[in-house]
Amino acid sequence: MIALRDYMDDGQGWGREQGRQVFQRLLDAVEAVQDCIVFRVSMRGVDRADISFASETLVELARRFRGQKGFCLVDLSDPDVKENYEAAAARKVQPLIVWTRGAALVLGAQPSQGTRDALDFALQRPRTRAAEFVAERSGMTIANASMKFKQLWEQGFLLREESAADSGGVEYVYSRIG
Amino acid sequence: MMEAAIQRAGDPHGAGVYEVAFRFPVGSKLMIDAAIRLLSLANQIAATSRRVQLAFDEGEVGTMGYLNRVGFFDHLTREIEVAPTRPTYSAASVHRGGNAGLVEIARINKDYRDQSLPGRLADAVKRSCATRADIQELTGAAWTIFAELIDNVFSHSRTPLDGYAALQVYPRGDRLVVAVSDSGVGIMETLRPALHNTSPYLAQLSDLDLLVEIFRQGISRHGSDRGDGLRGSAAKAMKFQADLDVRLPYQRVRLIPARGAYAPNTAHCFDHLPLMWGTHIGFTFRLHG
Repeated sequence: MIALRDYMDDGQGWGREQGRQVFQRLLDAVEAVQDCIVFRVSMRGVDRADISFASETLVELARRFRGQKGFCLVDLSDPDVKENYEAAAARKVQPLIVWTRGAALVLGAQPSQGTRDALDFALQRPRTRAAEFVAERSGMTIANASMKFKQLWEQGFLLREESAADSGGVEYVYSRIG
Repeated sequence: MMEAAIQRAGDPHGAGVYEVAFRFPVGSKLMIDAAIRLLSLANQIAATSRRVQLAFDEGEVGTMGYLNRVGFFDHLTREIEVAPTRPTYSAASVHRGGNAGLVEIARINKDYRDQSLPGRLADAVKRSCATRADIQELTGAAWTIFAELIDNVFSHSRTPLDGYAALQVYPRGDRLVVAVSDSGVGIMETLRPALHNTSPYLAQLSDLDLLVEIFRQGISRHGSDRGDGLRGSAAKAMKFQADLDVRLPYQRVRLIPARGAYAPNTAHCFDHLPLMWGTHIGFTFRLHG
């Protein structure tokens, strides 16, 4: 868990320049824990954050590590701060997931019509495989499901790791961010 | 009114103009947004080695007294002449912060960043519009608007001239006016280069059409390229039914958001205005929603 406020000088995230400074501090913290894949970022204590600040800090961090590490937001209740993260993430075509009492809200880039159902499925469980999704959806092929999850991974909605399949080949295990 | 007066008199930045005088007849009044535009303009003209004079026919009891109270003379270039005479003391320094409905003119300079400025402006909005049902959201939105606009001034002020921000409540008119003014690179010059790659359609529009389009797209929830500071703040301002007034070097757009469900947003555009460097933005919020 990262508390964004700990990396800021005060509770007001204002402007690009401050955003870049805070980004550097966050980057150092993230790189210091190589093994950590998912970072839950608490917004507690962040009273304000404008679009430029949001863009330069967490949205940029999520974009930079897309596919390798995931960043999600928790303790985000201020509607204006939420709206600004939404605008900043949309501009960088980056999804950013906010968790509130176990429910996920995707800010910024949205999944396509064709992958939304797969994303909802993946967000409901910590980890999943294409085969599990196929088992619950009639008419869905493994190839089709794999393609959807791959796309969601490439676009930054999910993380994935390789695992040995029962057949002996490689299978991907997808995990939600958060 | 101030725009009309300047237009009648001709371009103060014009070639062959060596002296510029602004005269304030008895009974003349300035609102806060006009005051900081005038401040920027007078300082710009003085910066180009022209002689500038401000003449107040009514002296301290009129417009000059008001301008002194909002801190105008604290920021007016020393070389600019003031008639009858410059105020002997700054009423803004004496009374600063004493009026809940006023945020005296604050300088915006990237080397002297005033971290509390967006907060002070947003707090004034919160106090003044306290009876609005949407006040919590409005305060957050107001902070973002000021933060973005002031940060834009920091990013784009490639001139030694300061930018300014100020706020005033007009209870009788049921409104609050916030103005941010800078003498730097105009927003068009900072927006245009990015557009050639991202939005070829926008890139081919005239400055005026582009500005209107920015505001129009800013209010659309699914604009493809939203989120940039100006667009984001314009979107928020319009969500809260604020009027916007943007003065560019040669143009001006006034945007009035729709009040009823079926009325369209209205844009009033003015082109070929006398040159004023920079970007000058005014927001007018209703006190009672």
